[in-house]
Amino acid sequence: MPFNFRDILDSFKVPDEEIDQIITHLESHYPNGSDPYGLDLKRAKKVLSILHPIYYKYFKVRVFGKENVQDSPYIVASNHSGQIAIDAMLICLAFVLEMEKPRVLRPLVERFVPAIPFIGQLFAEGGAVLGDRENCQRLLEQGESVLVFPEGVRGIAKNHEDYYKLQNFTKGFIRQALQAKKPILPIAVVGAEEFYPYVQHSKKLAKLLNAPAFPLTPTMLLGPLGLLPMPSPVDIYIGRPYELPEDIKPEASDNEIAPHLELIVEQIKDMILEGRKKRRPFWANKPLEND
Amino acid sequence: MSTKKIKSVLIIGIAGGLAKITATLLTKMHPNIKIIGIDSRRLDFQPSSPNITLIQAKYTRSNFENIFREHEFDSVIHLGRTSHASSNPLGSLAKRLDLNVIGTQRILDLCLKYEVKRVLILSTFHVYGAFADNPIFLKEDAQLRADFKHPEIRDVVEMDQVSSNWMWKNQDLIKTVILRPCNIVGPSIKNAITAYLTSSLSPIPLDFNPMFQFLHEFDMANLIAGGINKMKTGIYNVAPDDYISIRDAKKLVGKGGIPMSVFLLENAAQFIKRAWLDGPNYLIDYIKYPCLLDNNALKTIYPDFKFRFDSKDSLGFLKD
Repeated sequence: MPFNFRDILDSFKVPDEEIDQIITHLESHYPNGSDPYGLDLKRAKKVLSILHPIYYKYFKVRVFGKENVQDSPYIVASNHSGQIAIDAMLICLAFVLEMEKPRVLRPLVERFVPAIPFIGQLFAEGGAVLGDRENCQRLLEQGESVLVFPEGVRGIAKNHEDYYKLQNFTKGFIRQALQAKKPILPIAVVGAEEFYPYVQHSKKLAKLLNAPAFPLTPTMLLGPLGLLPMPSPVDIYIGRPYELPEDIKPEASDNEIAPHLELIVEQIKDMILEGRKKRRPFWANKPLEND
Repeated sequence: MSTKKIKSVLIIGIAGGLAKITATLLTKMHPNIKIIGIDSRRLDFQPSSPNITLIQAKYTRSNFENIFREHEFDSVIHLGRTSHASSNPLGSLAKRLDLNVIGTQRILDLCLKYEVKRVLILSTFHVYGAFADNPIFLKEDAQLRADFKHPEIRDVVEMDQVSSNWMWKNQDLIKTVILRPCNIVGPSIKNAITAYLTSSLSPIPLDFNPMFQFLHEFDMANLIAGGINKMKTGIYNVAPDDYISIRDAKKLVGKGGIPMSVFLLENAAQFIKRAWLDGPNYLIDYIKYPCLLDNNALKTIYPDFKFRFDSKDSLGFLKD
């Protein structure tokens, strides 16, 4: 096939009509176009136009298990990977772009995020909310779904030899689900680990800069360009919603909660394994036998 | 819930715009009421009703007790908190601590001594502090953290705490209501947020855009006048249901401003900051981070009360 530059450009063209339809649908949920957490649909529309080709063309995201998602509130719990929270962005985009009824998934962010100039604001305009118990409960009561990464920073900030090894999940999200009486929707993201194929973390530098983590990767030698994530194809697997028994209280002991946590983690592990087996070829894919 | 008639009221801080409106509303709600309005500031205005008597006096002085002795107040409304709107808040901290903390303690002790039945104290939402990690919608039991970062606001937090402790200690003897309103705006109100919104030189944040709640002075006065008899002992946030981002608020008021990064502004030299923002230092935090109030406790305790103006309506009054 002869090389046609116009065809390539056209393939990155954003379907305005599709984005308009999504925003119109979202406006029925947020009639003011905003909410007290800082969501701003006007700005979100602009950002969506920029992210649309990144989602479909750069990371070539595929979503499996869409049929598991109903138009109702969930605590969406995912594995965390990729050094920076691009996985969160892609999951949120999947819920906006790929679902029959688009919805703003509300990622609960670390406490330092809202304090970062410009970034905190950008996150809030896109739907992110400070990871606070009261915020979480209020959102769920209002019928919103929240996105959590129970591995926390430990999940995202791994050295490359630990890629796809799930870190310990905290139990807070299960207690939140018990309190709000909402199901947990397990999610596995496969492909994000390879955004930065070779990474070692410097604890000393992180401590020096008072940062939660400080990843070092050889591409940093290229300057700012080297910070761009690799175009590793991403697959998002959505599991079956996990309904917690009604007779467990949010204040239940860790022992009571542990079996449920284990089942959720197992489901995510299984999805990651299946996802890695079915991965599209990419030069940096971590082979299963290297685990 | 006390529904006894209000006959005699002491309003502290009568020279303020909010106090004047409250006094007028009380005379309309209770035609036979007697109101004594006291303030240390000059009282060069005529009261709106013959039922209102003005007295210029400092409530930290010993002769303040005479006023209690001579009038059998059944209600005391304390609106006399000294604000931080002056351009040198640090310099007057000792004075404000004296007036706001020691003065409030003295007022409350006199209320107890002279068997006042109801006390209402106007605090402020500033006591919670504006922090990046504030939950959206602060409830009344949230920690008062304002002075963690800005010691100059210590008097406001301490006044609230002194009042709260006193309230719970004497809850069987006297009905006490503490109100923590969001930003009050209106033609009669001169406060830091009004100065910020109406100044064409104030910074419009580019890097943050927190949500704000605005309360019209009439609604606040109406709540005080009606609520002193109807609200149970307790602390209540006061805010309308709606909210508006700080940028939209500036746009709505239409007085302009200078778009800039408040992160940089915060780190700029004091004199530059003064040129742009004639207000307390802590105000910068409030235009960076959210500090929204949960108003459910007020709605539960006083379901009849309806706000006449929402945040956007209230801001509309600052246009001219």
